[in-house]
Amino acid sequence: MSKKTKAEERAARAAAALAERKRQERRRNILTGVAVVVAMVLIVGIGFLINKSRDEGGDEKAADTSDYELAVGPEDAPHSIVIYEDFLCPICRQLEQLSRDPLAKLAEEGKVRVSYRPFNLFQDEVRRPYSVAAAAAFAVVLDRAGDEVAKKFHDLLYENQPSEGGPFPDADWFVDLAVQAGADETDVRPGIEDGDGKDWVEGATQASDDLGINSTPTVFLDGSQFQDYRTMEDLAGNLVAAVD
Amino acid sequence: MAWAGLVARLVVGGVWIYAGLLKLPDPDQSVDAVRAYELLPGDLAVTVGQLLPVLEVVVGTALVLGLLVRGAAVVSAVLFVAFIVGIVSVWARGIEIDCGCFGGGGYDPDATSKYPWEIARDAALLAASLFLVRLPRSRWALDSVLFRSTDDRVAEPADETT
Repeated sequence: MSKKTKAEERAARAAAALAERKRQERRRNILTGVAVVVAMVLIVGIGFLINKSRDEGGDEKAADTSDYELAVGPEDAPHSIVIYEDFLCPICRQLEQLSRDPLAKLAEEGKVRVSYRPFNLFQDEVRRPYSVAAAAAFAVVLDRAGDEVAKKFHDLLYENQPSEGGPFPDADWFVDLAVQAGADETDVRPGIEDGDGKDWVEGATQASDDLGINSTPTVFLDGSQFQDYRTMEDLAGNLVAAVD
Repeated sequence: MAWAGLVARLVVGGVWIYAGLLKLPDPDQSVDAVRAYELLPGDLAVTVGQLLPVLEVVVGTALVLGLLVRGAAVVSAVLFVAFIVGIVSVWARGIEIDCGCFGGGGYDPDATSKYPWEIARDAALLAASLFLVRLPRSRWALDSVLFRSTDDRVAEPADETT
């Protein structure tokens, strides 16, 4: 009888000790878990902030004047829009289609100065030649035929943009579009055929590169990068709303 | 099953680390890749683009080390569901973009032919993540060092009473 009680007592004590140990372990495990979670959240948070600061490094400084641009609208307009673009970029074309007319109208009304800064974004073998040729032709037209014709040429290049995978047109095609835009063929043909605008493209591309612009379209409104959009419809709509 | 768990951890975690590290050097591109899905409004796309690479590396590291496996696997599964939804959604809308899964992103003319394979890959990784949510215990996990439990050795009677 007493032996059984003793055994029971011992079992009870063992159980209590085990329960206590388990309690302590659970406590320690929870604390460890919380510490690990906090550490991970901290790492993610700090990494995120570092990433954020690196991302915004190149943002604010891109909208001053450039030697490689076509600007529309008065210099003292209350707003400025800068658009970095590649003539072969389909999304740029989409933005053009959506924003061209309203922006042209706002520029005419003196509400905004829009600077188009084409450069050669695509560096792969397939797309680079057309990207460079189009921007070079644009430079020639801008130089020989003036801003107004160049703007029309710019618009025509987007309207007639070839597919990104080719086939790509030749120099004659650029000359035809330039003439259609109002350029004198004798003024622009030699320059386009000889690729006179290539230095301009190189300079424009270097300038964009220096600013860290590595995608198109990259848009700046009044000096800061405009990122308030989900689709190109949003971008065009918000841009127009912001300056109107 | 403990070994299967280890394999799942290493594969899923390895993919996360690889994908995250590729994206870390270029937050700008990562933001563009997110934006190309045309799902998130501007500011949110920026935040997600900057946050994702870091989150991927940390979740991947946790899985590989076996640290808070269940929690990391839950995060991993949620991310894969989000990615699958994203890819299905661009596919359905006819938007052709590089998924940006391993860096890159933006327009890609061959995208439509890649979507099924990308979805299959993410689905397989999602399945592995869910397996770990259900059975998080596996070999060589830090968890088993950090979170010891007496349950494993209950049989031992308490010594001090004898």
